[in-house]
Amino acid sequence: MSELLANLALGFSVAANPYNIGFCLLGALVGTLVGVLPGIGTVATVAMLLPITFGLPPVGALIMLAGIYYGAQYGGSTTSVLVNIPGEATSVITCLDGHQMARQGRAGAALSIAAIGSFFAGCVSTVLVAALGVPLTSIALLFGPAEYFSLMLLGLIFAVVLAKGSVLRSIAMVLTGLLLSMVGSDLETGAGRMTFDIAELSDGIGFTNVAMGLFGFAEIIRNLEMSQESRDIVKGKISGLMPTRQDLIDSSGAIARGTIMGSLLGILPGGGAVVASFAAYTFEKRISKHPERFGHGAIQGVAAPESANNAAAQTSFIPLLTLGIPPNAVMALMVGAMTIHGIVPGPQVMTKQPELFWGMIASMWLGNLMLVVINLPLVGVWVSLLRVPYRLLYPSIIVFCCIGIYSINNSPTDVVIAAIFGLFGYWLNKHDFEPAPLVLAFVLGPLMEENLRRAMLIARGDATVFLTRPISAGLIAVAAGLLVIAALPMIRKRREEVFVE
Amino acid sequence: MSEGVRTPPNGGGFRFKVRAPRDFYGGLALIALAIVAIWTSGDLPGTHGFAFGPGTAPRLFAGLLAVVGALVALTGLFFDGPPIESYAIRGPAWVLLAILAFAGMIRGLNLGPLTIPPLGLVPSTFAAFMISIFGSTEMRWLESLIAAVAMTAFCVGLFVYLLQLPFQLWPWV
Repeated sequence: MSELLANLALGFSVAANPYNIGFCLLGALVGTLVGVLPGIGTVATVAMLLPITFGLPPVGALIMLAGIYYGAQYGGSTTSVLVNIPGEATSVITCLDGHQMARQGRAGAALSIAAIGSFFAGCVSTVLVAALGVPLTSIALLFGPAEYFSLMLLGLIFAVVLAKGSVLRSIAMVLTGLLLSMVGSDLETGAGRMTFDIAELSDGIGFTNVAMGLFGFAEIIRNLEMSQESRDIVKGKISGLMPTRQDLIDSSGAIARGTIMGSLLGILPGGGAVVASFAAYTFEKRISKHPERFGHGAIQGVAAPESANNAAAQTSFIPLLTLGIPPNAVMALMVGAMTIHGIVPGPQVMTKQPELFWGMIASMWLGNLMLVVINLPLVGVWVSLLRVPYRLLYPSIIVFCCIGIYSINNSPTDVVIAAIFGLFGYWLNKHDFEPAPLVLAFVLGPLMEENLRRAMLIARGDATVFLTRPISAGLIAVAAGLLVIAALPMIRKRREEVFVE
Repeated sequence: MSEGVRTPPNGGGFRFKVRAPRDFYGGLALIALAIVAIWTSGDLPGTHGFAFGPGTAPRLFAGLLAVVGALVALTGLFFDGPPIESYAIRGPAWVLLAILAFAGMIRGLNLGPLTIPPLGLVPSTFAAFMISIFGSTEMRWLESLIAAVAMTAFCVGLFVYLLQLPFQLWPWV
């Protein structure tokens, strides 16, 4: 306990450095600014803003990125409440009741409850990350290549199960992602793989190019296609920002339950934040005395999922910081950023660079505080941003993305690759393939292959090693179980369809 | 025998009817992707003793992708599904052109007959903005020009002055 406090004290001494507070504030501000733009989700925001952190010292850069992440997520909630356009999956649920509240003239209350809930969840989960960091790092020492491989497999299966489309399609996306990640030089022999003798591909396809193409450009192309439907922006001044006492009483239970659920689900690899917000909402609805109010502006319907997804966003740093495995696409971008600063994520970060590890954890809390501080007064600014017509917004996003991609390596080829992935993402969308599992697999691909190769080499070519080592076997069993549970209803439905004929 | 396949009454083998084009053609495209991957990684050394070669994993995952792609395509034959949405041309074409223009102009390009001198950040950003404007049916000249100038100024301010990233600004600098 005293060790925990000492560690947190170290963290806060790093984070409280005026420069770092500045970076955190700036990150949260810019993150919200971009995250608020409709149709840009958290991944796209973080990918777009990644280049602007490159010039900073490592600790400052990661603190700023964490700030951007929280800001982007909060910005997404703002869009959900005010415009009914969820930036991404985690804020879909917030739309349901948040937008209804906004239409009843209670947008201010919805936004402030979202901020307060997120802040509470952030406080709790920051302590959780700090407390679990050390014991989990020691677990990491028990992990050999076989366990790492199985854990990543579990993460990918999670992503498959949580994706919207069919299980089969998501598996196809995972495999496509793994395959794409293998373009470039082989880790062990240096042989060029699937590079078509293009020099620029010998280093592999950059992750930011893939993410910006699939999430940035593809999204723009898709939005352009939709008839410019009248966006349901909440007009008029947003009054009564502060929630009433009754609002606070009503939502306190929901916030607490959402926090617990989010913290637990966020640790799981493979996109825990999405499932956390869904689960928290469903749970609140089930235990509510007035379930009929949900969907018609129930404040608990905003408080629970917002707390849950923020808690999950926070605890999803745990697998990254302790095991070095990014559990979702945003964390994958963090890995990219760390690598650029010469930090290899994993258990050794905590022992070798304690000021970085604890500084980042402390800055998570600061980031959450910033959100409350900057967002409540600035809601009016975000609303006016939403009034910018899309015909001017999308060219701005395009040039911003172009400059961002180019600035990473000063490479025009990277820009072209992102454009190709934009078209690919458009095609995927037409065929109901979801890009999220692809991106996660793309990030995990090289790690998975490395560990698979090592495990097989150590086991002298015996593939049963994944089932004979207990931890690995357990992880694989969970993965298989999940897959069966997810596949069963689909098979049953399909069978019914067949029998109907 | 699966209930989904209908044997024609005159019994001339199977007559395939694509019932879910999204699945069917999506699956076929994945198979094509897998075949390309297997073909390009075909000359890489494979498993050697206990050790994986550089070609093992790509071929393994490409093979799996082909199988899953085939399953997706098959579901498109046996089960009904929505048709493929039509592809828009205007939006994607102008967006693509804008991005390519940026990529070609920023550092210059030398592609056979097409030669562009390095033009720098300011012209590239402005051109990319103005080209992408045409992707929407609602473009207005004056408004777009003002927005393009403003966005270019913002990006130069952010990336060059605030973030101190090394950019060539103009063709002559």
